[in-house]
Amino acid sequence: MTRIGGWSQAHVRRVVWRAGFGATPHEAAKWAHRGRAATLRWLLTPNGHPAPLSGPKPMALDPVNEYGHDMLWWMDRMVRTTRPLEEKMVLLWHDHFATRDVDTPLMLRQNALLRRRALGSFPALLRAVMEDPALGTFLNLIGSYKDEPNENFARELMELFTLGEGNGYTEADVREAARALTGIVRGREAGGVLLTTRFDPKNHDSGVKRIFGHRGRFGPHDVLRLCVEHHAHAEFLVRKLWSFFVDEPLDRTTRLRLQRIYVRSGHRLKPVVGAILDHPALYAHLGGPTMVKAPAVAIAGMLRGTRLGVRTDDWVWVTGEMGQRLFSPPSVAGWEWGTAWMSSNGMRMRFVAANVALSQPGLKVEDGDTPVDLEPEQQLARALKAIGQPWLSPRARKGLLSLAKGYDAMAGQKWQRQVAADMTQRAMRHLLLSAPDAQLH
Amino acid sequence: MPRISAHAACQDFHRASEASRRDVLTRRQMLKWGIGAGVTVYAAGALPTGHLLDAAAAEAAAAPDAPVLVSVFLPGGLDLLDTLMPMEQEGVLRDLRGAVAPAAPLALAGTSLGLHPALSRGPGGGLQGLFDRGQVGFLPGIDYANPNLSHFASRAFWETGMVSQQSVSGWLGRWLDRHGSADNPLQGLSAGYGLSPTLRAVKAPVASVSDAGDAQLGMWSVWGDWGDAAVRAYAALSQSTPQAAGPAAAARAARLAHTVSDRLAPLRKVKDGPDPLAGPVTYPEGNDTADRLQVLAGLLAQPLGIRVATVDGDGSFDTHEGQAATLERDLGAVGEALATFQADLQARGIADRVLTFVWSEFGRRPMANRSGGTDHGAGGIAWVQGPRAMSGILTDYPSLTDLDPEKNLKVTVDFRRVYSSLLGQWMGTDPVEVIPGAA
Repeated sequence: MTRIGGWSQAHVRRVVWRAGFGATPHEAAKWAHRGRAATLRWLLTPNGHPAPLSGPKPMALDPVNEYGHDMLWWMDRMVRTTRPLEEKMVLLWHDHFATRDVDTPLMLRQNALLRRRALGSFPALLRAVMEDPALGTFLNLIGSYKDEPNENFARELMELFTLGEGNGYTEADVREAARALTGIVRGREAGGVLLTTRFDPKNHDSGVKRIFGHRGRFGPHDVLRLCVEHHAHAEFLVRKLWSFFVDEPLDRTTRLRLQRIYVRSGHRLKPVVGAILDHPALYAHLGGPTMVKAPAVAIAGMLRGTRLGVRTDDWVWVTGEMGQRLFSPPSVAGWEWGTAWMSSNGMRMRFVAANVALSQPGLKVEDGDTPVDLEPEQQLARALKAIGQPWLSPRARKGLLSLAKGYDAMAGQKWQRQVAADMTQRAMRHLLLSAPDAQLH
Repeated sequence: MPRISAHAACQDFHRASEASRRDVLTRRQMLKWGIGAGVTVYAAGALPTGHLLDAAAAEAAAAPDAPVLVSVFLPGGLDLLDTLMPMEQEGVLRDLRGAVAPAAPLALAGTSLGLHPALSRGPGGGLQGLFDRGQVGFLPGIDYANPNLSHFASRAFWETGMVSQQSVSGWLGRWLDRHGSADNPLQGLSAGYGLSPTLRAVKAPVASVSDAGDAQLGMWSVWGDWGDAAVRAYAALSQSTPQAAGPAAAARAARLAHTVSDRLAPLRKVKDGPDPLAGPVTYPEGNDTADRLQVLAGLLAQPLGIRVATVDGDGSFDTHEGQAATLERDLGAVGEALATFQADLQARGIADRVLTFVWSEFGRRPMANRSGGTDHGAGGIAWVQGPRAMSGILTDYPSLTDLDPEKNLKVTVDFRRVYSSLLGQWMGTDPVEVIPGAA
């Protein structure tokens, strides 16, 4: 493994944001002390069993029946998980195998499947996702019969799940793969919910197909195998993983090394993700983060850092209007990540998100809460503590201190000093959550 | 209003002023932009992107009667054959579609085509009524040569106005880089939560607005002078220009949010007071497309300098299954929203300066699949609407018996040709600045 020079709280905060939803001050101190290897081991530990949750309990949630509670239920996991990387990988796979417009119980079962296989073998994940009813319903794989196959799943399998658009396949490959993928039909149901799919040879086209130059009487699993063994796959997946965690360019040497790790491990995810988390590029510009937080990451990170937890269903519309309604990605291509989150309206909603957070007991500043006569530095320290010690640029620090001085000057009369103290605390907390710095990790 | 005889793309759109119309619609240009010249003209001679983005100093363009172009995207790949059915080929179509029975179409006067019955929903007979009143021009067979059947690749081509992956800016964003103002984000407006890639610009400010009456930055718990000072502090924190893409985007978005907040402040909803953006027309309830178009119509009626705008239609037109029911519901809702929007613009007296272009990323295959739907195909449908639109069927309808080797419809017009016409004829600017190879 590549050595990373030194290991500090800044390193921990970086990797726990990128591979999770931000480190609490306690976590930052603990993992800085224990060192790099131990930190990465902790992040990479997920083993398929549900992670224990810890932290502020959420409001009463009914993810199946209450509008938006599916999203709140998942955000609560992001906030309280003790295995942040596992939960972050679920978000990655939800975006990668983006599914929407199917019943909530199916979405929740798919979500559990993505968590179970978050860091296991990619082919096994791919196979499980194909056999699970959620994506099969969304992409019309279920009910695609011989004679007139439905191409929807075959196309996205190559374009979005394994190879990349136009990357070493043709329209003829899509059509032939669609033939090979016929025969998957509805399986077991319980209470009106489709639990499984099954393969029905009667509806399968058993003829010879030609896919990527190979000929054979291929079936659904053969298509997945051909895609994963396709020469373009390893590069496609490595690039996808890299860009999820790192915004520095991926140089050729690193890419080839990561591809080797992925292929030689038998297409397992943990080794290649581990190598990315261990790469110096992830720790570039430690003094100033450069990646834009996705809306769900920003909100979950805020609720984790402030220790507010999921205590209001306002987070459903707030996160949705910031641009990321979980369980309802805009299309099978998922969301557009990175700077695309930063529209004028998306930014306004992040401002509103700070309003919602500051109206929650635990972060709300009641009249008279703030000691009068705190110096601006003390006010800032108090606000930083309430928010969970977020990163702050020197420029923003100066701005906040000068706001406090301005408020001091505005409080001309003695009775206004208490108002000024409270207002300072409210405005500082808000800006620590809403200003440009807060959108980066 | 005088109309110019049919069948050339340059005539698709009328321009506001007589003078510029005389200037633009010359015989030479008719030939140059003529649809008969085919799809392949773009195959060669594209300019490098860098050349395009060497924008001259942008000029402020907030003249109150400046033309506005609205782009409405119907996601998923809307089926041409079911939306605008070729009645003369109905027998062939029914054979190809089998169980996916086309809806009983509404005959379009003066054509051999029939409109999907759901498109009569809305005021004044919906889109059909608009067509009858001479305000809709349909563009069947629109696409590009060697169509890409990926939703995302094809959509990106339409958004950027280039059939390549080389552009980071959208075609209307590029137009703003060239002709927009340097300080008015409302000049390029996405009505909705996010910014459409069509409007993505290199340097021109652009904005997204989901609720014009609630676009303010205000701290709920910091009020009065304290609140004003806090919002000023927010604006100050956004006045940095970092090098890296992420921090630069965050600072820029904060600046834009602040500017939009300022400019829309006079239009704020006052408790128990009248909505300053309310119009005379009632929009359908529970219709997201209508909600977005209503926001847009309200803003277009204000002197905000909006020049180009985008709206994403709600619904999915990716009808791999259940096509009949999906179109009845989603196409009906979109059609109703568009007809209401047009009625609203008319009632507000601004219809003459707004042209709306409706598009989807591709069409669908003539042969149905067995899920009661159709797979991705070539040769889709788009239309222009508004009092200044050339009404009629503006492009050749693809044949159902002469398909391409992939058994898809043959494309009859390149979407970039239509973009060029919109830029040249409607916006009154040289298309080649925005669409490579347009000259």
